[in-house]
Parts: sequence; structure tokens; C-alpha cells
Amino acid sequence: MTYFESRLPVNFERINDLQNRLRLCEKIGIKNIILEPQNDLRNISLDLKKEIESFVKINIFYRINLKIDTLDDFKSKIKNYNKFAGILSVESLNKEVQLRSAKDSRVDIISFSDPEILKSLTPGIVSLTKQNNSFIEFSLAPIMESNKVLQSKNFRNLYKYIHLVLKLKANFLISGNFQNLFNYRHPRALISVCHTLLGIPLVLAKKAFSINPELLIEKVQKSQNNIFNFKIN
Amino acid sequence: MRLITNKERQRYILFIIIQENKIFLDQKTLLKSIWKSIWRYFGMKEANRIGLWLIEFNSQEDYFILRCSHETKEIIISALTLIQEINGRKIILSPIKTSGTIKSIKKHKLLLNNIK
Repeated sequence: MTYFESRLPVNFERINDLQNRLRLCEKIGIKNIILEPQNDLRNISLDLKKEIESFVKINIFYRINLKIDTLDDFKSKIKNYNKFAGILSVESLNKEVQLRSAKDSRVDIISFSDPEILKSLTPGIVSLTKQNNSFIEFSLAPIMESNKVLQSKNFRNLYKYIHLVLKLKANFLISGNFQNLFNYRHPRALISVCHTLLGIPLVLAKKAFSINPELLIEKVQKSQNNIFNFKIN
Repeated sequence: MRLITNKERQRYILFIIIQENKIFLDQKTLLKSIWKSIWRYFGMKEANRIGLWLIEFNSQEDYFILRCSHETKEIIISALTLIQEINGRKIILSPIKTSGTIKSIKKHKLLLNNIK
């Protein structure tokens, strides 16, 4: 079974740093990574992709994350991604934006990575993502906290909202989303954490790290082919 | 039919050590950190089920092999995943291979060395 690190934020302008990060991932044994540009990139050029892929022997995929505050902001930004052929995720504290992006077929992932944003997750959004075949994303970055009190709060919130999603049988991804180099962990190790400390059954935890990211990539590749066919016709 | 015996099934786990700055890390410090993490996240209830044993430790080649009960494999991996620093130095203890026999884990270790 191949596991995915579904979110690895990197700055594409700092190539040396990016190279170091990817090398560490390779050393840990990660086989599949979805990179997220931290700098405001709208599209990643083919040349840049080739350069990045030459650094390591890892399957690399790309995603764009939109951090949005208001509904108007969402409407104006999403227009640029009408024929976008990559993974698109939306992260917002605003419930209206979350509901709108859950209904929007251009959005593939509704991200609840930030502990504050996580608290705004409701069954309504979960239900909409189910209808739209999109994914809800959780991140394990908040659990790598040295302060015990904060760490246990983050564990509690993750436990609560992951179990809400499990109960509603929605599609979800669990990513690392680690900023610090020395917080990087192999997805198999994160599966163990999810199973033992977040009470997710082992099969479902493995699904969130392997099958669901594969489904997401398949979905995006299908839409990519549709855009290509549309252009030919 | 499976015979009921007193013998507990074991798991051997190969971990690699990735450090910020290469420091002298000895068995005692490593074990102390592992137990500290087990106690912090799982407490007495799980700690007494683990049956932890450090089979091999190599600070030069940055790896070690742990033995534990097969039921607590996930607990051990979680506890080691959540270790972020030892003696104030950033560290990653990453699981590479889990096996039921020491022979196959050593074979895997040899393969890893050859790749290096």
C-alpha cells in the first residue's frame, strides 16, 4: 500500500530549501507527496515541475490552496480556476465561504487544517462535500506542539471533528501539513497516531492516507482529460 | 488449529534516527526518551503491555531495532513518532520496517545499507 503526504507547504522560490525538504522526505521513506506552494502561485509551470521532480525519486503532485475571508473574495478568486487542471483546496473561517466551496465543483478539498478553522466544521458542510464528491481535510500539524495543554486541546478537537466526519461517512483526507523540517513524519507513523490517540479504526486511517488521496488524484486527472477533450473539440 | 501457548507473539521494528546536529546519543538517553513518551501519551495502562526491548542500537549508522508485543506495535510507533527532541536537540525517529522475525529485519537493514 502506498501512502501519501497530502499537504507539504513549500516555497517554490527557495529551491535549495525545497530540495532539502524533499530529500528529508525521501530519507524518511515517503513515496508520494502533494506539494503546496506557499508563495502566491496561480499555476505551476511545467519546467519548474520537471526541475522539482529531478531532485528526488518521489511521486510528486501539486495543489493550490486558497485562503479566503469573505464570500466576495471567494467569488473573485475562484473565477481564475475555471479550467484549472490541478488540485484546488479552500481554507476559510467564514461559514458562508465553506458552504459555497462545498457546493462548488471546482473545489476538490475543503481544508480544516488550522485549529481555529477546525472548530467551524458543521454536519451541513460534511453533507455537502458528500454530495459533491469532494474531500474534507484534517491536518496533524497541531499535535506536534511541545506545550502539553495546547497539545491535548488540539488532540481533543481533532478527535471530536474526525469522529463527526466518520459518523457521517464522508470522504476525508489526513495530511501532515508540517512547516518545520523536523516535524516531518512518515504517513505510516501518522496512521499509528491516528489509530492509537485519535481512535480512528486502522482500516479507515489507512484509507485516509492512501485510498482517498488516490481517488482525489484520479478525480483531478479525469477532469484534466475532460478539459483537454473539450479543447480539442 | 492454532495451539494455545504461553509464548507471546513479538514484533521487531527498525527505526532510523535523523538528527538536527549529529550528537552523541547513547542507549540510555534513547530509552529514557522512549519511556517518557510512552508514559506521556499512553500512561501505565498501556506501558505495562508493551514488553519493550532494545535489540540493537547503532549510533554510527543511525538506526536501532526495538522488540515489542505484537498487540502494542501501533503504540510504540505512535510514541516514537511524537518524540520531537532529545536533550534539547531536534530529532526524528522514523519507522522503516516491521517484522515478526529478527532475521528478516536484519536482512532489510542490510538492504538499506547497500542502498546507502
